[in-house]
Amino acid sequence: MLRDASNDKPLVELVNVTKIYPPDVVAVEDVSLRIYKGEILYLTGMSGAGKTTLIKLICRLETPTRGLIEVAGRDLSQISTAGIQRMRQKIGVAYQEFRLLDKQTVLQNIAMAMEVTYASTKAIRARVDELLSLLNLSDKRDKLAGELSRGEQQRVALARAAANGPSLLLADEPTGNLDPAATELVINLFRHLNEKNGSTIVVATHDESIYAETEHRVMALSNGQLSALPNHAPRQIELFEA
Amino acid sequence: MHFLAYILRQTGKNLRQTWGTQVMTLLTVTLSVLIFAFFFLVYTNMLRASTRLGDDVRLIVYLDQEIPASTRPELEKKIRGFGPVEKIVFVSRAEAFARLSTQLGKEKDVLNDLGPDFLPPSIEVYPLKNLGDLTKISQFSDFLLTLPHAAKVQSGSDWLRRFGYFTNLLQVVVLLSGSLLIISMTFIVSYTLRLTVLSRQGELEILRLLGATSAYIRLPLLLEGMLQGLLGSGLGLAALYILYQWIANRFSGPGFLSLFDFAFFPPEITTAILLAGVLLCTAGSLFSIRRFIRI
Repeated sequence: MLRDASNDKPLVELVNVTKIYPPDVVAVEDVSLRIYKGEILYLTGMSGAGKTTLIKLICRLETPTRGLIEVAGRDLSQISTAGIQRMRQKIGVAYQEFRLLDKQTVLQNIAMAMEVTYASTKAIRARVDELLSLLNLSDKRDKLAGELSRGEQQRVALARAAANGPSLLLADEPTGNLDPAATELVINLFRHLNEKNGSTIVVATHDESIYAETEHRVMALSNGQLSALPNHAPRQIELFEA
Repeated sequence: MHFLAYILRQTGKNLRQTWGTQVMTLLTVTLSVLIFAFFFLVYTNMLRASTRLGDDVRLIVYLDQEIPASTRPELEKKIRGFGPVEKIVFVSRAEAFARLSTQLGKEKDVLNDLGPDFLPPSIEVYPLKNLGDLTKISQFSDFLLTLPHAAKVQSGSDWLRRFGYFTNLLQVVVLLSGSLLIISMTFIVSYTLRLTVLSRQGELEILRLLGATSAYIRLPLLLEGMLQGLLGSGLGLAALYILYQWIANRFSGPGFLSLFDFAFFPPEITTAILLAGVLLCTAGSLFSIRRFIRI
């Protein structure tokens, strides 16, 4: 879904955001960015460029040292604990390190995301089966997560992030351990979520193959600073200068 | 409905994952309740026995001469001024002789050679029947000896006073075991929950990232503490009841226990102990949850 940014408010807005880890490691510096509803945004950059930090800042796993972050028009620094909990139920995050429970099955790992929203067992089963089918993991449903390959674990982490049909999906290096065929499945999943659910998707990656042919916006992070890749900034998308 | 089902399922999961520690905690709670409840049961029975024994308590002030009726009210006022008294009976020489004669029944002939004046007049003082007065009998007795014409004071049995002291000692034991119960239950349950939290650290962290609410994470742990309290107290009381039955059967009939009319707790006390156990264990859970879970 390629969107027109001219007449709606951004889903995520970062204004002059800086994150400094003690003692003085600057992970993100003075970043301003608007991410619109229904958009797919690729964040690229070398390891250590600040992609993961940016993802963590958006889902408030980290708080900025300076600057303002708003999600759905709400300043993250002003949201209560309960508000953050509700917000996280609507944001799917696929972490670079997967964060799966090795001693639980694939089904249980994915179901966790829906259980916290008190979804019915029937709905959970149906959704898990659908996602596993999309990611070609149907035969792994009852396997322990710890018994899967890295590539399979990565796809399970993505399935968990997508389980609630999130308004915003943040994927940190989602194809880092995948072969081209599995990478294609993941891209299809993103497309599916974006087109069917209208999900906004932010993909932090240094895998050029997944955004090389994209019609969506690609932003590059380098030494904590953000810039648009010239060949990947569609005219429909407003580039925001703070 | 889903919410309740999830909370119960999570509680079951917690219990399964740390069942070894849970069993140990349950045993500790059970033993703590058993020890406390045992001493409390003995104490309440002793208190009841002391009330019964107190029915017979009276202080007899033997006088070297009769007290004229006109001065009796003043004397009575003086005695009541010392402490709570149920009744005061003035017994003249003649009345004392008549009583003895009645008591002897068919044997009253032995009194034939004795005149009605051989028994001294007396004042019988019946203190209020409670343990506090029993322990003060000695002081009361000393006071009565200072009354005009008092020759001697008979203050009932010494063992009654010792019984009062023993009951007081038992009260201290009950208080100590009660304190021990509070400390052990809150500490042990809090420690067990800490282990649960540690064993599920990874899962709790992921739940937090997935947006699990405080209720979703905390309620199962709170429920775990409550269950420990309910089961532990229930088992402790059940064990005490079995012990009570055994003692009652073993020592029934004429003897020490028949004197005490040994009885189990009434339903309200049993419920109170059960609730106290649940409350203490819940408090232990709360302490652990507040301290070790970051949401």
